[in-house]
Amino acid sequence: MALGAAALPPWLLDREAAEAASADKAALAEQALSIARKGGATYADIRINRYRNESIAAREKQVEQVSRTQSFGFGVRVLAGGAWGFASSREVTPECVRRMTEQALAIARANARFRKKPIELIPAKGVKASWKSAFVRDPFDVPLDGKIQFLLKMNEAALGVKGVSFVNSSLSFMNEQKFYASTDGSVIEQYLIRTAPDIDVTAIDAVRGDFQQRSALPSAKAIGYEYLDQYPWLQEAEQAGHEAVEKLSAKSVTPGKYDLVLHPTHLWLTIHESVGHPTELDRALGWEADYAGTSFLTPEKRGKLQFGSKLVNLVADRTQPQGLATVAYDDEGVPAERWHLVKDGVFVDWQTTRELAAGTGGAASHGCLHAESWGAVPFARMPNISLEPARDNATLDDLIADVQDGILIFGNGSYSIDQQRYNFQFGGQTFWEIKNGKKGAMLRDVAYQSRTTDFWGALDALGGEATYELGGALNDGKGQPGQSNAVSHGCPLARFRKINVLNTAAK
Amino acid sequence: MLLSEPEAKTICQKALGYVNADDAEVRLQGEKYSHLRFAANEFATSGYREDVNVEVTVWIGQRKGSASTNDLSDAALRALVAEAEELARVSPVDEEYLPTLAAQTYQPVGGFVESTINMPLDARAKAVGDVIAHCQQSGTAGAGFHQARGDVQATATKNGNFLFGRSTLAGLSVTSRTPDGTGSGRSTRNHFDVARLDTAHIGREAVRRALDSRQPRALDPGVYSVILEPQAVTDLAGLMLYALDARRADEGRSAFAASGGKTRIGERVLDERLSLYSDPWHPELPGPAAAPNGIPARKLHLIRSGVLETLVYSRFWARKKQVEPTPGPVNAILESSAKPAAVEDMIHDTKRGLLISRFWYIRSTDPRTISYTGLTRDGVWLIEGGKIQHPVRNFRFNQSILELLAPGNVDLIGAPERVVSSESEGEAADLVPALKVKQFHLTSVSEAV
Repeated sequence: MALGAAALPPWLLDREAAEAASADKAALAEQALSIARKGGATYADIRINRYRNESIAAREKQVEQVSRTQSFGFGVRVLAGGAWGFASSREVTPECVRRMTEQALAIARANARFRKKPIELIPAKGVKASWKSAFVRDPFDVPLDGKIQFLLKMNEAALGVKGVSFVNSSLSFMNEQKFYASTDGSVIEQYLIRTAPDIDVTAIDAVRGDFQQRSALPSAKAIGYEYLDQYPWLQEAEQAGHEAVEKLSAKSVTPGKYDLVLHPTHLWLTIHESVGHPTELDRALGWEADYAGTSFLTPEKRGKLQFGSKLVNLVADRTQPQGLATVAYDDEGVPAERWHLVKDGVFVDWQTTRELAAGTGGAASHGCLHAESWGAVPFARMPNISLEPARDNATLDDLIADVQDGILIFGNGSYSIDQQRYNFQFGGQTFWEIKNGKKGAMLRDVAYQSRTTDFWGALDALGGEATYELGGALNDGKGQPGQSNAVSHGCPLARFRKINVLNTAAK
Repeated sequence: MLLSEPEAKTICQKALGYVNADDAEVRLQGEKYSHLRFAANEFATSGYREDVNVEVTVWIGQRKGSASTNDLSDAALRALVAEAEELARVSPVDEEYLPTLAAQTYQPVGGFVESTINMPLDARAKAVGDVIAHCQQSGTAGAGFHQARGDVQATATKNGNFLFGRSTLAGLSVTSRTPDGTGSGRSTRNHFDVARLDTAHIGREAVRRALDSRQPRALDPGVYSVILEPQAVTDLAGLMLYALDARRADEGRSAFAASGGKTRIGERVLDERLSLYSDPWHPELPGPAAAPNGIPARKLHLIRSGVLETLVYSRFWARKKQVEPTPGPVNAILESSAKPAAVEDMIHDTKRGLLISRFWYIRSTDPRTISYTGLTRDGVWLIEGGKIQHPVRNFRFNQSILELLAPGNVDLIGAPERVVSSESEGEAADLVPALKVKQFHLTSVSEAV
């Protein structure tokens, strides 16, 4: 098949550069902030952002979709009369900036009458900074034909496995170009790149009317095109094919209590749901009560609640290499940092913003304010959160050796947790019996159900640094209106004792 | 102001005018969106957004490329088309290419009321302020979200089709929680006409449910007879729509696949009183004029009297299977052929069972049986001897939707109501009834409130 090149053509880059230049961001920012101050705002900020995406989707031997999107616009946020107002538009012009700033002030004034207590923010120092996320090859500079070939080769690797019926794969690249300025005197520009390959393989048993799937184990990362070279994707695709076929004849699990050894490609999502969300302070204060829920963690439990066993150390980190939520500054100018949420098993801290810290007597924000786009209101979003590995070099064999009756789980499947983050149920991609210290045959129809603090209290062994991997999600949903957040979670292998396992196919 | 039809048509025609490719389609979406969020009886965030997005898809020698932008300048639209054509030139042949639609005749639909987009800031603030005041007076903490939006969509093809549509939506959700942390109630409604959104009623309902759900008692998990309020029904029944894709059924990877490469069309899959259909002209739930595949939408029965009547065929798959492409679905209406029963009558009819308000965090566990897991939320009550006895703690469920609605499992069916699914962020609505069913699998207890 003869394919041409087609990285982003020069004329397109020139057009974007010209557009960006014609939108003098500094001048527009000064205009917005000046109007906001004159209108009585005690704080104001403006974000002028561009978002680019490129995605390719393929099934079996054909390409289904090749597309590029871009969105450019601005949003002005003001704190006036002790209330928030926000307004945004795609028209990045002086006239529209004036109109939207006045609209934001009008919204704040209309709502301020109903606030009983004015909103306050922890002060922040004005910062002038420019930052790029760490990548070697900007995927938007890479020609399209190589990307298409990558996907079709992955599909071919999976289809080459006897018994594989269908393959769906995709490759997505995301670029955020963020400009932020505030009445604190901050002017911050940030450039982020994310790369997300994916594959999903289906095997069908037409005689029995059964079908099984195996999706990719690795996750999206904040990394460039080099991700496609650094990870053995063809091997992953072929393995997915073998395992999808094997699932058709795997033994259906007998429900009961089992020791679970959870691989990082699975455990990251359990961390996300059972640690990431309950430690959001806005949830604990009831700010998400109407949608995502509240939290079983409440302010008086900080420093006291035994969240898990003493082996459990969970760290929030917006500086983590390749982390999807890694930035230099959050969306209100607070520098990225790293802090413990759970230390030696005890719950010790929250995720916070300037407003949350001010409202709870905190000295500083942990820098968790984020908006998914120029047109979205920023609010508290999850940073990367990871489980620290063991200090020794424990391996998978070490963890399995002490298991008489257990299950080893890879990859993410079904996931569900209640609105206060107590009761959860998780599936996976592949499940392997562990009997008398050895990995055995494949199982299927497995999900485990537990209660958050019981689960983390049952952790009795961790893998070493060599077993640590980074997983993550591009579309963590929260807020009203709903917004997505990209976030990573790293962890080693981990063993949990006597967890309730159910059979998802049972009548 | 939202783009008018002439304005939208001008933009689409301008983009098409730059096309050199063999075939092309332009899609335009515009919005004006405003919102106000409150929590802990205080106003929180509030904002406004205006945006227009144009996507161009082209085919050159059946090779496809797509690009989109929100810059409507002539230069940007010219560059957008050029980018899509550049992508098409380097792409492989689109094996599933069909020529874009020639001119179609679309019937007008409802669902647009100008005043919904232009709700004054003070009016919204007062409406929400009144809801908060009621929560405070009742001693509960109110949280919620008021939104209003206007949307326009336009599609134009190189082969001469043009479709313009616009819609409005206003919605309010309120959650009320008792200070002892044991009671929580929620009410949510939306409508295309902001004048039909009774914000005071929504607030009162949320508070009533919160107070009625205080001090829940623990009950063992198990298989229960349950009454599902319309909110709970839409949370589950709407999930069936995802399984109705014809291609996946023909490929053998759907709950509606049958052995031997066939599908279950013609089989009784639900209780014989139930029908699931789509109707773009329903006065309470107007839908868009076009089906997702672009052809004019028509009233469409997916399941009639419990029998699977049709699956959903894209234009490509319909050609492959030599059938007509499906003119929908554009909305979801679940109705009974029997005389509807009121929820009060369902309660009187129950010797022992549960009344469930709604569900949350619903995720697929087995697509072969359309099985899901999730939690109950914001109100579960024990019924004994035909009367509500007391609230009970929330449960996790594991349930096949097909088995839930299967022949023999459905006792009583109510009249359809317009309700908003819990996880749609207030933007999707269905018309579904309350249901009383014989068996529902509640597999573990959650202490969450």
